[in-house]
Amino acid sequence: MNWRKAKLIILTVLILCLIPATRYYQIDQPVMRWLQGPNRVNPADLHLAGEFVENNLGTQQDPDGSVTVRLIAQQYLFVPHCVLVPAGVPVHVRITSADAVHTFALLGTQYAVKALPGTITEAELRFADAGDYTASCAEFCGAGHFEMRSELKVVPREQFPALGPGKRGGCATQ
Amino acid sequence: MSSSLLSAQEKEAAVRRNNPEWHLRGDNRLGFRSRRLPGLAAGILVAILLAAVASTTLLGSVRAGSPDHVPSNVAWTAATVAEASGGNAFRGLLLARRCEHCHGSEGFSPVGSTPNLAGMDKLAIWKQLEDFRDGKRSSPVMVPIAQSLSPRDVADLVAYYAALPIYPDPQDNRVFPEQNAQAGHSPIAFRLVAFGEGSRGIPPCQACHGPVGYKVGAPSLATQNADYVLNQLDAFADGSRANDINQPMRTIAALLSENEREALAAYYGAGLGLQPVGASGIAPKQ
Repeated sequence: MNWRKAKLIILTVLILCLIPATRYYQIDQPVMRWLQGPNRVNPADLHLAGEFVENNLGTQQDPDGSVTVRLIAQQYLFVPHCVLVPAGVPVHVRITSADAVHTFALLGTQYAVKALPGTITEAELRFADAGDYTASCAEFCGAGHFEMRSELKVVPREQFPALGPGKRGGCATQ
Repeated sequence: MSSSLLSAQEKEAAVRRNNPEWHLRGDNRLGFRSRRLPGLAAGILVAILLAAVASTTLLGSVRAGSPDHVPSNVAWTAATVAEASGGNAFRGLLLARRCEHCHGSEGFSPVGSTPNLAGMDKLAIWKQLEDFRDGKRSSPVMVPIAQSLSPRDVADLVAYYAALPIYPDPQDNRVFPEQNAQAGHSPIAFRLVAFGEGSRGIPPCQACHGPVGYKVGAPSLATQNADYVLNQLDAFADGSRANDINQPMRTIAALLSENEREALAAYYGAGLGLQPVGASGIAPKQ
C-alpha cells in the first residue's frame, strides 16, 4: 500500500477517535468498568453471569490451602446466609452489594468488610480457633438493617470438607 | 545479506542516493519518522487486543466446573424498569378478559391458590410473567399463557392490574371479597411482619413487601390469598420455586418454621398488610 494512502487512513482513524472522546460523559462508565477489570461488577446483573452467580457463592478451596469466600450483601440479607471456613488458614473474602452500601462485620472481632454496589471488596481474614461468629450489617441500609445478620462458622482445618474443583462449601456441606 | 549489516541511517542514505528526488515525495511533511509510524500504530493495536484478551481470560478463569444456575433472566436495569412500567392500561383491560377466569374480573381471585393481582406492583407481575416465559418458574397453566403473550401485551396487562384498586371506594360499586381482619392477627405473624427476628437473621416482611419499605421486583402483599402465600413460602423453602434474584426468599422461607409460614399466610390473607387507617369497607367481623 502506498504510504500516503496509509497515512491518510491512520489520520482519519485518529480523527474519528476524537468523536467518542467528545462524548466521554456518555461512554465513561463502560470504559472505566473495562479498564478497572475484574473488580468492577454491575449490581443489577450479578445473578446472570460472572463471579457472583448462585453456584459460585460460598467457600472455595484454593490450591495453596487458603480459602476464598464469595458473598453478596443485599437488603436485608447476606447470601449465603451461613458461611463455613477452616481455622488457621487465610480466608480471602470477596464481597459485593446488589443494592445499598452494607458492611459485613463479625461481632466480637475487629473484622468489618464494606460491601459497595458495583465494586468487589477484598479482605483477608484469619481465625486461629474454631468458633461460631455472628455477622451483622454495620452500615445502615434501610428498614430491615437491624435484622440483617448471618452466621460464620469456623471449624478445625481437618473437619473442613474437601471440596472438589468447581464445588463451593457452606454450612450445608459440613 | 550485506544489506542487513547496514545501519538505518546508512540505508536511508542509500535510498536517497538512488533516488535524487527523495525530498519531493513529501514523506516527512509531518516532521516525524514517518516510516516507523505504521509499526508503532500496529504495536499499539496489538497491545490493546492483548489487554482485552487478558482481561476476558482473567474474568473467565474465576470459576470452573458446573454450569451457572441463573434464577431469572430479568436484571433490573433502567431499560428493563422502563419496559416493565411503560404499558398501556386500557389495552391491558381488553387483554385481561383472558385472565379473569382465574384472577377475577376485578383482580381478586375466587380460588385461594391463585394470586390476587389487583393493585400489585407493575415490576412484580412483569418479572413473574418473564420467568414463566423463560421457564424459570414452573406452572402448567401460566407457562403456556406467558409464552403466548408478546412483550407489549405483558407490559399492558401489568399496567392494567397495577391500576386496579385494592380498597373499596364509596363512589364505586365494585364487589370486593370480604376480609376478616381479625382472622389473621396472630402475634407470631405480626412480630415477623413488623420487626422480623434479628437473632435468626430474618428481616421484617414489610421492609420489602410494604407498606414500610419497597424493593424492586418484590410484590406488595396487601391483599393476597392465604393459600397462595403459603404455597409459595413452602415452594421457596424446599427450592421448587427458585426464581428470586440473589435468593432472598429461598433463604428466608427456609429459616421460617412451618408454624410461622402458616401464620404469615393467614396474616396476609386477611388483608392486614396495607390496611390504611379508617378503611371503612373492611371492618372486622365481630
